[in-house]
Amino acid sequence: MTAPDHLHRQLEAMRPQLVRFALLQLRNESLAEDAVQDALIAVLEQPDRFQGQSSLRTYVTGILKFKIIDCLRAATRERPIEYGEDQSEDDVIDALFLADGHTVDMPRQWGNPDQTLEQKDFFRVLEICLEKLPAKAARIFMMREWLELETEEICKELAISSSNAWVLLYRARLRLRECLDLNWFGAHTVKG
Amino acid sequence: KLKPTCREVHRLVSEGMDRDLTLVERARMRLHLMVCGACTRFNVQMDTLRRAMRNFPLGG
Repeated sequence: MTAPDHLHRQLEAMRPQLVRFALLQLRNESLAEDAVQDALIAVLEQPDRFQGQSSLRTYVTGILKFKIIDCLRAATRERPIEYGEDQSEDDVIDALFLADGHTVDMPRQWGNPDQTLEQKDFFRVLEICLEKLPAKAARIFMMREWLELETEEICKELAISSSNAWVLLYRARLRLRECLDLNWFGAHTVKG
Repeated sequence: KLKPTCREVHRLVSEGMDRDLTLVERARMRLHLMVCGACTRFNVQMDTLRRAMRNFPLGG
């Protein structure tokens, strides 16, 4: 098998997973397929750019992130999403605290982060938790934490205020924390 | 002014991931974290979540 053929097969094998991750962010199957297709074509057109300093999967994922950012910008221009205050979401925050501002329950010990991040199963649970997030929360959270966009850039893209962005991100983190707590840390014996 | 609640500190922990906290906010948060186990655990959880996302989707 020639080198280009081998690369092509490797990329095709990655495609389903890449589409799933693009879908997490874009929430639209055809947009996700397009972003992945663009990323794979970019790799195939310039295979020499892959220096082998990281794994091929890391390299392709990095390119996919830029394609998703382009896609988000285009989609936001064409069809702005309403990111107004949703008062019902305050329940997520209120449920954690007593009237005097103290926490209702002691948060669970999550143990050593290094050990957690070495376990592939943890990332499967994280993916499921991300899929469960409401669409708006997932989008802003992924923009901040996966695409690593600065808050100012997110506010510009989504046409929201900084304070609105901070609240949306806070709620998204609380939801993810609760999901991981129940489905990973609650189901495993955690060592400190 | 002197004693922030856990509710305020949880919010500051999250907002500190998205903006530069003021000196006063940072001092209030740090003082609270020194004496509050619940907020300290929350802080570790948020740090773990951020590190996980930096490794997502590869992990392991």
